[in-house]
Amino acid sequence: MRTLLRLTVANVKSLARDRAALFWTIFFPVMFVFLFGWIFGGNGGATTIAVGYVDLDGSAASDGLRQAFGGVELLILHDGSLDDEKAAMQRGDVSAVIVIPKGLGDALAQARSGGATPIAIEVYGDPSRNQTTQVVEGVVGQIVNGVNLQAVGGSAVVTVTELSLQSTSISPVAYLVPSILAMALMQLGVFAAIPLVQQREKGILKRLGATPLARWKLVGSNVLLRLMVALVDMVLILGIGYVFFDVRIQGNLIAVVGVVLLGAGAFLAIGFALASFLKTEEQATGVVQVVQMPMMFLSGIFFSFTFLPGFLQTIARLMPLTYLADAMRQVMVNGTQVAPLGLDIAVLAGWLVVCLGIAARTFRWE
Amino acid sequence: MAQGGEAVIRVADLRRYYGDVKAVDGVSFQVARGEVFGMLGPNGAGKTTTIEVLEGLRTADSGTVEVLGLDVARHQTSVKERIGVQLQSVSLYPRLTVTELIDLFGSFFSRRVPTRELIDAVDLGERAKAWSMNLSGGQQQRLSIALALVNDPELVFLDEPTTGLDPQARRSLWDLIKGLQARGKTVMLTTHYMEEAAELCDRVAIMDHGHILEMGAVNDLISRRFKERAVFFDSSPQLPVADLAGLGGVTRTAQEDGQTVLYSQDVAGTIGALLATADGLNVEPRNLGIRQATLEDVFLDLTGRALRD
Repeated sequence: MRTLLRLTVANVKSLARDRAALFWTIFFPVMFVFLFGWIFGGNGGATTIAVGYVDLDGSAASDGLRQAFGGVELLILHDGSLDDEKAAMQRGDVSAVIVIPKGLGDALAQARSGGATPIAIEVYGDPSRNQTTQVVEGVVGQIVNGVNLQAVGGSAVVTVTELSLQSTSISPVAYLVPSILAMALMQLGVFAAIPLVQQREKGILKRLGATPLARWKLVGSNVLLRLMVALVDMVLILGIGYVFFDVRIQGNLIAVVGVVLLGAGAFLAIGFALASFLKTEEQATGVVQVVQMPMMFLSGIFFSFTFLPGFLQTIARLMPLTYLADAMRQVMVNGTQVAPLGLDIAVLAGWLVVCLGIAARTFRWE
Repeated sequence: MAQGGEAVIRVADLRRYYGDVKAVDGVSFQVARGEVFGMLGPNGAGKTTTIEVLEGLRTADSGTVEVLGLDVARHQTSVKERIGVQLQSVSLYPRLTVTELIDLFGSFFSRRVPTRELIDAVDLGERAKAWSMNLSGGQQQRLSIALALVNDPELVFLDEPTTGLDPQARRSLWDLIKGLQARGKTVMLTTHYMEEAAELCDRVAIMDHGHILEMGAVNDLISRRFKERAVFFDSSPQLPVADLAGLGGVTRTAQEDGQTVLYSQDVAGTIGALLATADGLNVEPRNLGIRQATLEDVFLDLTGRALRD
């Protein structure tokens, strides 16, 4: 155990002191989050928010409310039935839905004559677009306060109930952050081939083989190092997404960590399998780029690959990164599915097992 | 065989083939405790393959290989615990310091020498915090020897320990290796420098094409073949070696590295006759000199080739 720890520390130090390796494993993905985050930034620079408006009351009082909302320049109202507007929100056509409940007029009338039962306006917001939702809820809150003041001198007859409705069309940034994390994990794993080939070429692996050190510890320390970096990448990328672009994790954090580790493991296995076939460091650097570049651009990292021509989509569906990015979006922001989560996980586990098997059979120590 | 003492290495009829290449083809020898044993031969002679079988890095196709009384193939880990290994031209983790590397390697063994002591022993005190990639060639070799000593081994293997070093660095490494013997360690080394073998080794095995051609103490190897001294000069077409074989005192002749060598029991007579012959042809032998026969001459005599080529 002590040996494994020592070797891992040695690997961590070697990585931390190697600026080129550090750039690729940590700064490159971080840079991408900022770059594309700003390109597709925040609310896309929108100054207005499209909101579905459902009036179930149809009284004089509710007409007054409709006018009040209509007067808010920030909101563009789309009137319709509850079902239509919720569907519009799921499609991403509107960012929130305001529902005026049946009986609002009556409740206000009763309030003026004394005893009244409170009645709630419902606001459906998308938790993955927290900023927008907060703005809409703020506007609704202000108008409701006004109504309460006018009608009953401030006692809360009308309240606001905040409901969440997940839009399947997530914002560009919310799409990007989990995708870039997936890309970072892919590179982390595939690039692991380079130091391995380097260590073999330089005879380091052979020198270690002349000590009583067990080989599984040597492999284990490499795996530990990469999984640690995977978690660092996760914290950095999710942190930047949260702080700068307001992208929140919708799913279970444990599920996110699980997918991160599975993804890192699968690509690490691919890296080890590659290292089995590569002889020189130059070869490794080249081949690793040939492997990672197409995945980076075709696996739907920067935009959904449904925009690609048909044959490229077929290629994209063969790439493991497609499934990792999809799983990552599903557990983080409930993004649109390319495949069911179970299939994503099965594909990644498949790559993990097959590549590990190849590496175990063909890896050469010198 | 070594004089007395228990054998710490026993090799009998070791063979290792790579396809058609017979890298090691029936090698047998023993090394006694406390001895410095050298394998001398050109590149490709099979020295490294032999030493790597002993270190447990390669398997033998056939033959018996015992190190410290243990069958290497069956007791790899126990053998590795007790031996020290320096491999030919190995770089280490380039971005770890001397201290970190010694600490790291120490953690692989159950028994270990304090890091500071090792750094002092190989005289790397001033470079203790330097990354291994920034060390000079000689410093890297000294670090490599420190790593070979990290478990206080009874037996140390050094594969071409001074290849590529300048003469000064080589001298300082020789002192280090002599120090190992003084501390009671058994050393087996390979080299293709005959001066190195002559300087360091109690016994030498001369190897070529996977075979041991001759084995014994350096002086014995030389005196076994050469009672003569060597008269040498730059070869010249006007002085064909065949014409010189009959000169007074000459027992054998050889051509080596552009030089003609006359082995002579009567150096004064041979030189007199040589100069007279040359004078008659109106040529002058260039860079004429005399020396004792060396391991180089032994190798030349055994193989018909110069050792360094």
